[in-house]
Amino acid sequence: MPTSKPDRYTVPSNATERITSRIIRPLGVILVLLLVVYGWAVYNAPIDRVQGVIQKILYVHPPLAYGAYLGFAVTGIAGGLYLWRREEAWDRLAIAGAEVGVLFCTLMIVTGPIWAKGTWGRYWSWDPRLTVTLLLWFVYLAYMLLRSFSAGGERTARFAAVYGILGIVLIPLNYYIIEIFSGRSMHPENLERGSLGAGMGFPFLMGNLTLFIAFVYLLLLRWQVEALRADEAQRIHQRVGAEGD
Amino acid sequence: MGVTWAILWKDLLGEWRSRDRMVAMLLFCFLMAVVFWFALPDRHPEQWKELLPGLLWTAYVFASLLGLNRSFALELENDALAGLALAPGNRGFVFLGKASASFILISGVEALTAAAFGLLFGVDLTEVWLAFAGTVALATIGIASIGTLLAAMAVRSRFQELLLPILMLPALFPVLAAAVEATRAAISGLPLPFEAIQLLIVVDGIYLVVGFLTFDFILDE
Repeated sequence: MPTSKPDRYTVPSNATERITSRIIRPLGVILVLLLVVYGWAVYNAPIDRVQGVIQKILYVHPPLAYGAYLGFAVTGIAGGLYLWRREEAWDRLAIAGAEVGVLFCTLMIVTGPIWAKGTWGRYWSWDPRLTVTLLLWFVYLAYMLLRSFSAGGERTARFAAVYGILGIVLIPLNYYIIEIFSGRSMHPENLERGSLGAGMGFPFLMGNLTLFIAFVYLLLLRWQVEALRADEAQRIHQRVGAEGD
Repeated sequence: MGVTWAILWKDLLGEWRSRDRMVAMLLFCFLMAVVFWFALPDRHPEQWKELLPGLLWTAYVFASLLGLNRSFALELENDALAGLALAPGNRGFVFLGKASASFILISGVEALTAAAFGLLFGVDLTEVWLAFAGTVALATIGIASIGTLLAAMAVRSRFQELLLPILMLPALFPVLAAAVEATRAAISGLPLPFEAIQLLIVVDGIYLVVGFLTFDFILDE
């Protein structure tokens, strides 16, 4: 056995995936640097006068939400591209989008109630935005179950793509319905300029930037893993085929 | 369009000859009534009237899941699914045929269930039956269309009975929220809430279009 791993174990064979996998390592370096600055900024951020230290969840919670939506958007769009172009690379990107999206969504659903308990007084409130997020989380957990319950291969990719697109259709639909049927949201409509206290802008910005980079990093890493797995499966397939002859 | 009618006719004829899906769904709904009574005992008639929309829709949704699962499980026997895939023309019409057969079947079960629930819980539906039936039918279009699309996927996975509810319930949320709202108004004899009806029509349209366009990718083999 050679002592150093040959290149083919780390470089995907597909052209798109090979190019994207090149930026993973530099992105990781940037991410580490950002994490240091981010941690320092959050640590030094002022303590909210009304909410106390729990308000610092602000620097994690909304950025996680953006990541979750981004992941689900990636899944839907990559699924659409797969159905259109029939290139497996897009299906693998869709898997990565769903998994990273579910990770971000789960963390958001965990951090939200902690913050809510501290400020609204209870963990869960069936607030419109909470309900929509919960449903979205279910949609993409179902997406992952659909993949794992199916036999894999081309059919699973097609089914998953259709369900991923349905998931995207459901996002605005659920927002619309909750607008109609529930009372007003307890979430702020948006973070207007000036709604953040003095000294809170920088850590919030860093939170968004760092978690966005973390999202891209994890997405590309997951995509690369899936690509390498497919390559390896194909190699084994060829070897078995060659031995069989 | 001929394909749609042929599949609709085939499904309904098969169901008429065996009647197994219809009977199973109905029995399930009646059992649900008993479950509800044990879960929420000793209510006044007025309270039952308030609860009835939610109870009915709970029974309807789970009964639909049972029926939709079977709708494609039947096609697996003798590889009939491959035959469906070979139907001439756009496969969206195959989808419409399967969905309308499920719609008719589920609607029948819903009507009989409503009558039974009305009797059992002492809520008089005879005065308001038209508004009630209209709302339920509108919501059932959404259930049958998205359910047909997802059942065609679920049926070819492991644990198909388990997968369909997990795939389908999140997608049914808009339908259910609007349906319960509109049904409550219908049962109370109030004017139907415009927004709920509008939402049902929009969702029905979206699900029919999504199903029609994507069914090609589901049957493709």
